[in-house]
Amino acid sequence: MNAGRRADNTAAGRLSRLLALVPWLTAHEGVTVAEAAAHFGVTDGQLVEDLNLLICTGRPGHQHQELVDIQFWDEDGVITVLDPQTIGRPLRFSADEAASLLVALRLLAAVPGPHDRDAIASAQAKLEAAAGEARAAAEGVVVQVDATVAPEVDSAVRTALADARRLHITYIGALDDRTERDVDPLRIVSLDGRVYLEGWCHRAEAMRTFRLDRIVAADVLADAAEVPADAVPLDLGAGVLRPQGGSVTLVLGNGVRWIAEEFPVDSVTEQDDGRLRVVLPVADERWLVRLLLRNGSQVEVLDRPEIAERVRSEAAEALAAYRA
Amino acid sequence: MSQKDRTERLLNLLFALMASSRPVPKSFLREAVEAYRESPSDEAFERMFERDKEELRSMGVPIITVEGSDGSGGIEGYRVAASEYALPEIALSTDELAVVGVAARVWEQASLGPAAQSALRKLEAAGGSIVEGPVGIETRVSTSEPSFPAFWEAVRLRRAVAFDYRRPDDSTAATRTVQPWGVTSRRGHWYLVGHDVDRGAPRVFRLSRVVGDVTSVGQPGAYDVPGGIDVASLVASATPDPGSLVAEIRVRADRAHGLRRRATALDHGEGSDLILVPFSDDEVLARELVGLGADALVLAPESLREAVVRRLSAAAGEVA
Repeated sequence: MNAGRRADNTAAGRLSRLLALVPWLTAHEGVTVAEAAAHFGVTDGQLVEDLNLLICTGRPGHQHQELVDIQFWDEDGVITVLDPQTIGRPLRFSADEAASLLVALRLLAAVPGPHDRDAIASAQAKLEAAAGEARAAAEGVVVQVDATVAPEVDSAVRTALADARRLHITYIGALDDRTERDVDPLRIVSLDGRVYLEGWCHRAEAMRTFRLDRIVAADVLADAAEVPADAVPLDLGAGVLRPQGGSVTLVLGNGVRWIAEEFPVDSVTEQDDGRLRVVLPVADERWLVRLLLRNGSQVEVLDRPEIAERVRSEAAEALAAYRA
Repeated sequence: MSQKDRTERLLNLLFALMASSRPVPKSFLREAVEAYRESPSDEAFERMFERDKEELRSMGVPIITVEGSDGSGGIEGYRVAASEYALPEIALSTDELAVVGVAARVWEQASLGPAAQSALRKLEAAGGSIVEGPVGIETRVSTSEPSFPAFWEAVRLRRAVAFDYRRPDDSTAATRTVQPWGVTSRRGHWYLVGHDVDRGAPRVFRLSRVVGDVTSVGQPGAYDVPGGIDVASLVASATPDPGSLVAEIRVRADRAHGLRRRATALDHGEGSDLILVPFSDDEVLARELVGLGADALVLAPESLREAVVRRLSAAAGEVA
């Protein structure tokens, strides 16, 4: 089966497939059952069932000349559409289908990166024209992009990706640390509106993602980019956070309930006292200390007493400077 | 009823609706489609037919309801024009097909994913060929909030909804009734924008704060979205004000680089640097600075110093 193509076997999902199948077969003369099954992301058996269903349907009356006629029982598995009846052309886009592509193209146009803007604009225009009234639904969905990126960084990243060259970047990390790194860029990744450069980082000797708005300088080097063949790119379904510091149980007062919304928490429990108990995966201890410093008495740390102690001592150290 | 039988029934209904250029009366449909013919009562047939008709419409089948010419407002029949049924001719170049392929993958983990895949299958049925190769960019948007599909449908159909909503500073949820205008994703969260019927004003709702199920209220198309509404800008907080105040802050060497990026002036010192940072609100900047611990020391203004000291005292466990 074709990766990324999954069968939707609800009644409507299947009907949608059948209505695309007939014109696709007509446009691709000589394809086999196996090829068609791969194209639609179903098993050979499912595809044969689909064809069997199609040839039992047709215009009212259901005499032979009114039924869909498809031949697919030759040994070579080749499918031939003899009479598609009135479903020989693909059905027009539904509102959902039009919106899914149009909203995504608008999003792509807003994301910095090396992709082809002219192709996006012309594809948008053609799809809008083909969608007709269905295009209206797309106006009801907007994905916003945080695309603040310095123009010279944007241009260096595009060049490096287009020419497969190594980049030297100056990066401000999530903890306000500043590092210089050589990165072999793989791709631009945008997740829920945030934009990252993903590549092989020679400093970490691993795949890393860098938020574009935190790259303060980027230079294209003469070296060719060489992402190791066995490097594992980011799992786009899992997000960019890589929790490495275990987890912590926090009790959140009313003013800091947003913590449970902002970070991916493992569990959330309402306590009788109106506070919220959460188990929070910790990306980095330093990050947690900073979160706790900022939210002071509103957050109680239930386990990890060493963290609570570190917060207290860092606050006391900072206070001492003010009282000096 | 199995999924296979239902698919077959929908397909035969579609053929029957396209059978003639004249409107097809309901009585004809009841005879033409086997499952309708065999339905035990008129009520059962009506229910089945209404459900099937809406299903076909939601798939994009343009079913036209034709009223009788006798002026009574009765329905003469239904019809799908062949010219309206088909996707218009669309010829996409290889480059255009490549970006459309990337666009469809945006929803891979989201509720619009199946719709995007089926849109691609239609483009391919129309003669296009999508190559799923790398193009230097991958974009994903998730719709993990359980209420997303219900709100998206409500936006699409322009049908009011009711749901329980809990604001972060409230301990209980309250029921809200809203005419949805649109949904928008910002910084990893989905928001619903619409007219709050009880409050008589536009409101924004974060989907993660919706408690329980969303129920439909009233009929589709029951209201219009006001012209000139920009869903995104209603949710985006105003671009942060750079601020007319200036903080004088001593930062340790090679620390607090995020803060340094916003500095308008920097004076290198021994082991630490002095920076000037524009800001607009003591409490907002104080909250950020406290996170830096001893890496940052506010010299001025006094009100900002006090805000930082108060927050540090709380974090240090001192009794106020």
